[in-house]
Amino acid sequence: MLQIDSVSRAFGGVYAVRDVSLTVAEGETRAVIGPNGAGKSTLFNLISGHLLPDSGTVSYGPEGERRRIDRLTPHARARLGIAIVFQGARLFGGMTVLENVMVGAHARTRHGFLSAALRLPRHREEEARIEADALAALDRVGLRDWAHRTADALPLGQQRSLQVARALCARPRLLLLDEPASGLRAAEREALAQLIESLREEGLTTMLIEHDVAFVSRLADRVSVLDLGRHIAEGTVEEIRRDEAVLSAYLGEGVS
Amino acid sequence: MKPSPRWAAAAAVCAAALLAPLLLSETQLPVYIVLVLAACVVTGLSMLMGYAGQVSLGQAAFFMIGGYTAALIALEELPTWLGLAASPLVAAVLAAVIGVPLLRLRGHQLAFATLAVQLILLNLVGQQEWTGGDIGLQGVPRLAIGGYEFADDVAYAYLALAVLGLTVLITRNIVKSRPGRGLRALATSEVAAESSGVPVAGYKLAVFSLSAGFAGLAGGVYAFYFGYVAPSSFPVLLSFEYVVMVVVGGAGTIYGALVGATAVTLLLQLLNNIGTMEGMPAAAPTVLSYAVYGVLLVLVVLFMPRGLVPTAAAWWERRRSARPRGDDPASDGAERPAPAPASV
Ligand SMILES: Nc1ncnc2c1ncn2[C@@H]1O[C@H](COP(=O)(O)OP(=O)(O)O)[C@@H](O)[C@H]1O
Ligand SMILES: [Mg+2]
Repeated sequence: MLQIDSVSRAFGGVYAVRDVSLTVAEGETRAVIGPNGAGKSTLFNLISGHLLPDSGTVSYGPEGERRRIDRLTPHARARLGIAIVFQGARLFGGMTVLENVMVGAHARTRHGFLSAALRLPRHREEEARIEADALAALDRVGLRDWAHRTADALPLGQQRSLQVARALCARPRLLLLDEPASGLRAAEREALAQLIESLREEGLTTMLIEHDVAFVSRLADRVSVLDLGRHIAEGTVEEIRRDEAVLSAYLGEGVS
Repeated sequence: MKPSPRWAAAAAVCAAALLAPLLLSETQLPVYIVLVLAACVVTGLSMLMGYAGQVSLGQAAFFMIGGYTAALIALEELPTWLGLAASPLVAAVLAAVIGVPLLRLRGHQLAFATLAVQLILLNLVGQQEWTGGDIGLQGVPRLAIGGYEFADDVAYAYLALAVLGLTVLITRNIVKSRPGRGLRALATSEVAAESSGVPVAGYKLAVFSLSAGFAGLAGGVYAFYFGYVAPSSFPVLLSFEYVVMVVVGGAGTIYGALVGATAVTLLLQLLNNIGTMEGMPAAAPTVLSYAVYGVLLVLVVLFMPRGLVPTAAAWWERRRSARPRGDDPASDGAERPAPAPASV
């Protein structure tokens, strides 16, 4: 589904991502772990298009229709089915929770200014469908009751869920989750884990940045480890636990 | 269905606007027509400022382009309705073309660039022979659509209102639907909007172009109503006035645009009337229309930074939510979220 080849990206001469190559299979849930500043978020931004690589290529697509995407704009990549949940809350203030999620459908809908201005029947049908899809996405993350409140009024945990709902409303084929569980309380984490499990059962390809080992072992098929921008190890959770390079990278971080 | 205060307000505004041409005096009617045309321009500019987060200090240039387009076509003895129809299109296309490089700029850079565009266009128009130079184009025939000739002020007042109605309708339809959600989204987070599939640059260009189209259409009506266009009818100050109207009314709301245009026009008119009253010193009109106007604007920006309409709406919301449980001390802050679940 996703193939990254020797991708590098530096900021002011310092590599944030250095010569990273990895492949994510269709339907796989891939965890990306590593200490703070390892380049995990940068890697996600290179996939979603908010950053362009200095060198290397990013290809994406199901078997047989894979194509290079590393020069495409983020909205073009969104149209191809890539959705991202950012590490920080990036909500659309002043809009309702429902409207926030409806924006997520932009990636797979097309009616523009003209048909909106004329209120063409096709456009109104599409609007109704988008709203139904958005409500369904809110249901999945447990935010249905908040649909008509403004997004700014949400507590932090729910803001994260709202971003997840927005990403789901895009019906993505590759979902990037950047530390979705950070700042969540136990019950919220459990709900998120169950959601990711059910998405996995539906065959969605997911990449997940997460620090909590229990969370990762429960959800991930495979794990990629980044350290100082390099991809130092990849394998199943069991393999990673035994990996020497990983152990030395994490030494002193209190992760066993 | 019980009429909500929203609908009642809309109905009252419509009724007042429709009755005004019949009630206003001969000297008041031109002011009213100019006000309604300004409201068209300001509605578009308010979308640009409120949703795309961009300021244009050259919006009068598009008003001018619309006016000249209509005048040139009408003076070529082509059908006058063609002139009116072309005026928004030419302005919108021009905006789309210059918008590609311009909208890469941000904040005050873009504001200055649009100002520069207006200065350049004013200069060009003032020097070309086919645009009539500084004198402009005179003797524009009256507008005729399907055999009906718009002859007197009342007819033009209703024409201007129809154009404003169209502008408001289009704006409302867009704001409420998919592209409008994209615009509102990119106003708060361009990054998140992009990753949701909103083509941010394209949307900004579309709003810029649309706002220019509204201005152009208003300019077309202007040309037919006054019968002439000249560079001096479209000064840079007019562009500033449009921005002031947006700010006073509140950017990003349709009512804000209408209220802003009305409030500023009435205020200027009032100050002018006071200044030219008998017994006033000779300097009074200048002092009033610059100094007092300026002070009032500063006061609005200081005490109602979001503009009249959003401030009034927030005040109304607070009053309404405070009434049923008037003794609840927590209900005075708009920041505090009410408990879930929401209504509906
Ligand atoms: N926009 C940026 N400008 C400058 N440096 C950046 C930027 N984004 C990330 N970095 C740097 O790149 C490195 C990797 O950051 P990041 O990808 O956010 O790490 P992680 O998500 O693994 O914690 C850090 O040293 C960070 O300071
Ligand atoms: Mg990070």
